[in-house]
Amino acid sequence: MDRWWSDGTERGPVLWKGIAAILATGSLLGVAQNAIVRQGSPKDGLAWRYEVPKLDSLDAATPVSSAAAAPSPSPSSAAPLPPDMNDPLGLGAASAGSFDVPDVARPLQIQISRVKQFFDAGAAVFVDARDTAEYVEGHIPGAVNLPYDDVVTDPERLEKFDPKGKPIIVYCGGGTCELSMNLGFALVNAGKKKVLVFMGGWPEWSTSGFPVAKGKEPQGS
Amino acid sequence: MGAFRTFSMHPFVRRACQLAAGLIFVYAALPKIADLPAFAGSVHNFHLEPVVPVAAVNLLAMTIPWIELTAGLALILGIKTRAGAFVYVGLMTVFTLGVVAAMARGLSFDCGCFGKATSTTIGAKKLAENLLMLAVGFVAALERR
Repeated sequence: MDRWWSDGTERGPVLWKGIAAILATGSLLGVAQNAIVRQGSPKDGLAWRYEVPKLDSLDAATPVSSAAAAPSPSPSSAAPLPPDMNDPLGLGAASAGSFDVPDVARPLQIQISRVKQFFDAGAAVFVDARDTAEYVEGHIPGAVNLPYDDVVTDPERLEKFDPKGKPIIVYCGGGTCELSMNLGFALVNAGKKKVLVFMGGWPEWSTSGFPVAKGKEPQGS
Repeated sequence: MGAFRTFSMHPFVRRACQLAAGLIFVYAALPKIADLPAFAGSVHNFHLEPVVPVAAVNLLAMTIPWIELTAGLALILGIKTRAGAFVYVGLMTVFTLGVVAAMARGLSFDCGCFGKATSTTIGAKKLAENLLMLAVGFVAALERR
């Protein structure tokens, strides 16, 4: 090391030892830093095992049928439920809850039974995150097609998309569907306030015998 | 080729490349270290499941930034410079392969390469950027005679 600012003469075993030293030092420092961070605040650090992020559920965010248990503390006056033709006696009304969706910073998860209630009441705008070919083959009636892959390259489509104050329910091909999660986050980032993700997605909807539509999106939507 | 070789073997050129590579790594490491969960999310976005199990994502996310930082400092300070350059080239190769793999599967997302604040979407531009940074690393890794 004749000139410290221009070292770079290592070779052979010295070089390999240096590489091993850097890798070991880096790994140890990383594990140590993470442990320290986790002591202060566990959620700012990482657990040993990675868990795929789960979205909070809408039901957890707005406790359903709390009216019977306690006077509802909800500041927004509960909107009267729209008449539900599938449930004329209102038997499901207690579990149906309101169609109020809180403003969210992260999309909320929603289960198929609630999705159907929103659908029947026309209380939400459906967004299909799959690509157009899949959308044409079949989709939830009235759904708007916003393929996530297109939105990434053309963010204006998100800005232009206007749910007219209604909650947005995003769905896609189901499974560990990333498209709807990603689109959900993209919508929230684009300033949409009430974003729900229907994790079961198209497979669950179409196998439940619920209405489906085929073909292109109606123009002007 | 001869002229290029002479140029890239020049001590100042090599030193400049070492500094550049070191600064790139330090610059890339700090925002990740500051927000580990965000970086873990970025790593998961690459969906390397066939090669890296999902459960191992966190281990990568906590060690990679610190390896970057250590190698970057080695390059800048001129201590174990060549080892630092080798680590730089190795990691940068892995990152570039990750970008290629993501592009091949049509994935498009913010890679989190320099943390979440500076968004770089996976694509041809990102690939070109990586190849350039890789070239800098190769010059930095040249042996001094």
